[in-house]
Amino acid sequence: MNTDPMAVRDLFAGHYFLFAFLASIGALQIAVSNSGIRGLWLTPHAGITRILGIALILTGIAVFFLQPLWVEGPWAAGSVEADSLTREWGKASWSEIAGARNVNDIHGGLDGVKQTGWFALAVILAFFVSAVVGTLSMKILSAAESGNAGTATNSDTDGLEGLSNRPYLSNLPISWRNFRADIRVLWRGELSKADRWSLMRMLSRKGGSSE
Amino acid sequence: MTSLDANIVIWLNGLSGNVKIFDDLMRLAASDYLMPLVFSLGMLGLWFSGKTPAERVKYQLTMLMGISALSIANVVVWLFNIWLERPRPFVEHGDELNLLFYPPTDPSFPANPVAVGFAAATAACTINRKFGWWLYAAATLFGFSRLYAGVFYPTDIVGGAIVGIAIYGFTTYLRRFLEPLITSFVRLMRGLSAA
Repeated sequence: MNTDPMAVRDLFAGHYFLFAFLASIGALQIAVSNSGIRGLWLTPHAGITRILGIALILTGIAVFFLQPLWVEGPWAAGSVEADSLTREWGKASWSEIAGARNVNDIHGGLDGVKQTGWFALAVILAFFVSAVVGTLSMKILSAAESGNAGTATNSDTDGLEGLSNRPYLSNLPISWRNFRADIRVLWRGELSKADRWSLMRMLSRKGGSSE
Repeated sequence: MTSLDANIVIWLNGLSGNVKIFDDLMRLAASDYLMPLVFSLGMLGLWFSGKTPAERVKYQLTMLMGISALSIANVVVWLFNIWLERPRPFVEHGDELNLLFYPPTDPSFPANPVAVGFAAATAACTINRKFGWWLYAAATLFGFSRLYAGVFYPTDIVGGAIVGIAIYGFTTYLRRFLEPLITSFVRLMRGLSAA
C-alpha cells in the first residue's frame, strides 16, 4: 500500500497536539497547585487540582501510545524496517503497541521542530483553558462566599503573584498597567547594570554618540 | 575504542528478545515523543513553580536559558554530524544487531536526544537539584534505551551528555550579551500575567 508521508504527518500532528495539550495542562496544574497560583486552578482545592494534574498527564500518555489500537495508521507494528510507503495502514495489536509510534520523520513522524511548534501551541491553549476555568471557579466561589471574596487582594501584586488571589481577567489589566509603568525604568536600570559586551548596551552607546 | 564501543552495543542489544516486556519498555523509552515531552513538561512546571516573586524570576530566567540551550544543542549536534559523519551501529554491524527502533538516517555522534535531555536537566539542576537529578535520570534512560535498541554507540551517548551540559554552560555565559532583553521578556510575560 502506498502511503503519502504528508497524510501520516497530519495524523501524527493531531494525535501529538492532544497528547501535548493534556500533558501540559496536567503539568501546569501540578505546578500552580504547589505554588498557590489559585487563578489557574481547574478546581477550588489544591489537593484535587494536583491529583487532576497527575491524571491528565497519565491520560495524555495513555491515549497517545494506545491510540494505534483503535485508530488506523501506518504504525511501525513491530516492523522497524518498513517505511511509510511499504507499511500497511491498519490498527496495531497489543503485542505491537510499544513500537507502534516509532515512525521516522522522513516517513511521516514528527521531527523536533514540528514537535516544538505543536508543543508551544498546546502550552498556550493549556494556559488559557486554565485561566478561563480558574476565573469561572473563583467567580463562583466568591459569589458563594458573598462578601469575603476580594478583601484579601493586594492591588500592588501582579503577574502570577496577583493570580494567587485574583482571577486572570481581573489580574491582566493590573499586570499590563504595571508593566507599562515599569518597563522604561527597568530597561534603563538593567542596561546600566549590563555587561560591557551587552549588545543592547553597545547599540545604545552607538546611538548616543551619533546624536 | 571503536571496537570496545561496538562490543558494548552488540552485547547490550544481544540481551533483547529475552524479556518482551523489557524490550517494550525500552521501545517506549526510546520513542521520539515520550522523553522529549518529559523534558518540556519539566521546564514548563519549573516556570510556574517559584513560591515568591524573586524565586519565580530566577526560575523563569533559568528556564529561558534552558530552552535556548536546547536549540543551540541541536545546532551543535548538527555541526558535529557534518564534521564527523559517524555511521550508526546497525549500518556497520547490522548482522549482529536486533534493531528495536526505526533506522535513523542521520549520523551517530553525538546523540542528539541525550544532548537535549542533559541540557534540560542541567538547567533544572541549577535551581532545583532534586528535580534536576530526576531529569538527568530520564535523559540517561533515554540514552540507554537508544543504545539497547541498537541505534547509538556508548560514546555517542557520553558525547551527547557532554555537549548538553557544555552548551547549557555556554548559554548562561551568552546571556550577558543579550541583557536586558531577557529580563525585559520575563517582565513582559509578567505583564501578560504569565510570569
